[in-house]
Amino acid sequence: MIAEARSLQASTRARRAHIRLAGLAAAALAAALAAPCVAQAQRGGRFPGGAMRSLGDPNSFYTPPDFHGNPPYDGRFTFARIKYRGFGRWSGREGPGWAHDYPDADVHFMKIVREVTAMRPFVAAGPIVGGAIVALDDPELFKYPVAYLSEPGGWFPNATEASALARYLRKGGFLIIDDFPAFDWNTMEAAMTRVLPDLRPVRMTGKEPIFDSFYKADINRVSSEYGMNQGFYAWYENNDPTKRLYAVACYNNDIGEAWQWSGRGFVSVDVSNEAFKLGINFLVYALTH
Amino acid sequence: MGAIFELLFKYRPAVFEQGEFAFGAPVPVMIVVVLAAAVAVPALVTYFRVRGKSGPRDRAILTALRVAALLVLVACLFRPMLLLSEAVPRRNFIGVLLDDSRSMRIADRNGRSRADFVRDTLGAESKLLARLRERFQVRIFRFGASSARADSAGALAFEQRDTRLVDAVDGARQDLEAVPLSGIVVVTDGADNSMTPVNDALLALRARGVPVFTVGVGSERFSRDIEVQRVEAPRRLLKGGTLVADVIVRQSGFDGATVPLIVEDNGQIVARSDITLQKGSDASPVRVTARLSQPGPRLLTFRIPLQEREQVTENNAQQVLVEVRNDRAKILYIEGEPRYEVRFLRAAVQADSNLQVVLLQRTADGKFLRLNVDSGDELASGFPTTRTELYRYRGVILGNIEAAFFTHDQLAMLADFVSVRGGGLVQLGGRRAFSEGGYAGTPLADAMPVVVEGPAVPDSLTFFADMKPALTPAGLGHAVTQIGAGKVTAAEKWAALPPVTSVNRIKRIKPGAVVLVAGSVPSGGRAGSPGENMFRYEQPVVVYQRYGRGLAVAVPVQDDWQWKMGAEVAEDDASFDTFWRQMLRWVTSDTPTRVEARAMPDQVNPRTPIQLRAEVSDSAFEPVNSAKVSAVAIAPSGARQDVALDWSVDQDGEYGGTFTPSEEGVYRVRVTAATASGEVADTTFVRAAPLDAEYTMAEMRRPFLQRVADETGGRFYTPATVGTLPEDIAMTKRGVTVVSQKDLWDMPVIFLALVGLISAEWGYRKMRGLA
Repeated sequence: MIAEARSLQASTRARRAHIRLAGLAAAALAAALAAPCVAQAQRGGRFPGGAMRSLGDPNSFYTPPDFHGNPPYDGRFTFARIKYRGFGRWSGREGPGWAHDYPDADVHFMKIVREVTAMRPFVAAGPIVGGAIVALDDPELFKYPVAYLSEPGGWFPNATEASALARYLRKGGFLIIDDFPAFDWNTMEAAMTRVLPDLRPVRMTGKEPIFDSFYKADINRVSSEYGMNQGFYAWYENNDPTKRLYAVACYNNDIGEAWQWSGRGFVSVDVSNEAFKLGINFLVYALTH
Repeated sequence: MGAIFELLFKYRPAVFEQGEFAFGAPVPVMIVVVLAAAVAVPALVTYFRVRGKSGPRDRAILTALRVAALLVLVACLFRPMLLLSEAVPRRNFIGVLLDDSRSMRIADRNGRSRADFVRDTLGAESKLLARLRERFQVRIFRFGASSARADSAGALAFEQRDTRLVDAVDGARQDLEAVPLSGIVVVTDGADNSMTPVNDALLALRARGVPVFTVGVGSERFSRDIEVQRVEAPRRLLKGGTLVADVIVRQSGFDGATVPLIVEDNGQIVARSDITLQKGSDASPVRVTARLSQPGPRLLTFRIPLQEREQVTENNAQQVLVEVRNDRAKILYIEGEPRYEVRFLRAAVQADSNLQVVLLQRTADGKFLRLNVDSGDELASGFPTTRTELYRYRGVILGNIEAAFFTHDQLAMLADFVSVRGGGLVQLGGRRAFSEGGYAGTPLADAMPVVVEGPAVPDSLTFFADMKPALTPAGLGHAVTQIGAGKVTAAEKWAALPPVTSVNRIKRIKPGAVVLVAGSVPSGGRAGSPGENMFRYEQPVVVYQRYGRGLAVAVPVQDDWQWKMGAEVAEDDASFDTFWRQMLRWVTSDTPTRVEARAMPDQVNPRTPIQLRAEVSDSAFEPVNSAKVSAVAIAPSGARQDVALDWSVDQDGEYGGTFTPSEEGVYRVRVTAATASGEVADTTFVRAAPLDAEYTMAEMRRPFLQRVADETGGRFYTPATVGTLPEDIAMTKRGVTVVSQKDLWDMPVIFLALVGLISAEWGYRKMRGLA
């Protein structure tokens, strides 16, 4: 157990170092990469060349080692993690960005949801733990009207995926975008603009009902491993904050990381508490509004 | 047949029915018997002594024939006769009531109208009237909406728009009460559209011994006609709701024909469907739906365009008055678990300004989220604990919440909410609902349209089934299930919806429950409890029952939001939204308010009285008998007419009054009730206009006229048999009568019998060689 914890800690440190390096690189190359990044996404990675290709087919999906299939649909709330093609935001053992924190974050979050709320979500059944992993162009996605997307910095949806997600959101789906530093904003925003061309992200003030749907959450108390200036952005129907909320993005933030490490002491109780409070608020809001 | 009878028996059957049989021979009976014996005995002896060629059988037959002939003769010697009480000529009165209504204009007597018959048969110069006047003092009345004295049939215009036959007969009886009355003659087609109960009137006539002689005019079945006979439609509807009306269409001569049925809202077509008239069916029900979006009283016309060579042109349409309300039905949705159903159901009705779904969402044990409440106090203490608080809502949606959440009183309150308050209850499926939620044995179990049984089921043992929905025959035309749009029918739409799942095993429904949507396991689907694999399983997806004054609906599936969210459902598909809007509108559309006003009927001809009824209850919807109830009827011109309503005594909480509209148009009637717990009011609408009710079921109603005649001791006639009417009335034993004797010995049938018997004897002898 100790060895495993050390290994995980080392993995996290390596990842943070990677983030810092990538941040510097991104700051320098942001303008140069902004235009071609979408085209590169079709090939499966943000970084051109062979670095990502060496990990496998950039148009295929990575399979996390702890993934043993999706639980059969039974109507219960099931945490749905979005997967995207390629290996963008690769991080050693955790794989590409979309799989970061899986499955611990998913399992811990669902356990907390089960314990704290009146919900009875899927938590685990045999080797299947945490929830489901679905691609945007998978019809199964429509069975999970609340979905979670990690590390949108590596997310470059193709036309089919963008169209499917747009349908999903307009029909009633709700998307939580998490775990991306400031320098991935442009990538994320470009992807979301591709999905919902008419909508623009709106910075949230913290007074929105979503932050008071279960807990009275103070967004200023949410700490981020990515540093300062963290915040929350929302996409509203017709860009009207009084209308339906399609998606929320945890800008410069990573609440999934806090879920993941909540059980191991690598993240303080306060931090993980705030992360869980936010997550629960997101769920309760999405299920009642 | 009657003529042959009269030829043989000298008199009509009516004479035999009315008369008393007697013998009129002046000779003492014993003498006659002795004489008969003196004649018969030697004859018998002679027959039996003679042997000759005859055998015993021959002798027996010949003896029987001869004795029979002798007996006929002896019977005639007794002078058989009928004793009849006949009216003394011109000393008695009869009332002749002539139908003056518009239906008498129908020309269904070989091209001649019913009115023509009345003019010809009972006009001033008619023979029948002359014969009646020979025997009686004749008083002629004309009747329709009202009755009045008339000199003859010539005075009739056949313009009246109502036929109050029973009232007219009773009125004539009262008018002639002071004179010796032999009977009342009614010449009519039998169309009675009065509100007076027939049985009461017949009882009064029978008690006073006044026979009514009915003369039915017109054909009993039209040869070629289509009639929109009746329309059954709700009298109230929420704005934007789907009106479902059952239209009864009668036809003759149009077997299998397809005709359009058009629904118009104040002249604008709101629905149109082609209907096929059933072969050999006298009347067939047709269900039509229409969406009404204009608030206020709506005059809906259901009509079938005039078809070629129809006999009656005025009976192809019916009009109903429907009040489209623009109020807001407040519905309490109690949900035990944050789940997708809440999100999608709320979204479905959010844009509907006529529905307010107040959500009481349990988010954790003892923690609730209230949404869409009117004030901070509303539901502040959780689910209502008093009837007054609960009865503010018109509907309740019971989500995925276990029975143990409620107290016994709250469950009883919920049951009363349906049965006493008349609210609509919708229970949704889920792991904490129905049997699985432990509702068996609770007061609410009775209200549910499905049978719940057994203890609560833990999550790990929950039953699970994939369900493919399909409309049942009952659901085809139901208001809730009309999710079709454009040319896509509701059935097609339901068939295209994605499967849903159920975690509530429904084994039985209640005897009075109606399944609107049924579910079955689709190909490749799963069904069964853990460790069980059922190959076939079916259960209701939408089922309802009436429970007391209200409606209880069960939707025992957990994810009908798939009808909105499913991958195969188009983005602009409104099936789910429409379904839930219609469901919530339907369950709350008939929910009574504390005062319920009603006009009976709600459409009348001008200057016809209307009965107003109001049911008044307190905040717990218990009837109140001590309220002060009044109404004001506001005419189209704005003129106001106050109407006092008094407690009817017959029924708790019911008040009644009458008013007569003097103007044509729609009256707005506002009924106000002052009770101990405050003043409450309701509005209803009444239409006064020239109606064509006369042409509804305008064929001659023989059974009704026959019944009136039979039950009062009179007779029923057709134009072909009416000739004997004067003589028949004369024999009613009513009024001033005299007894007359009618000899029977000289009936032709007696002579024929004698000749027959003697001829038979002679013929037998010839045949056997005994002559």
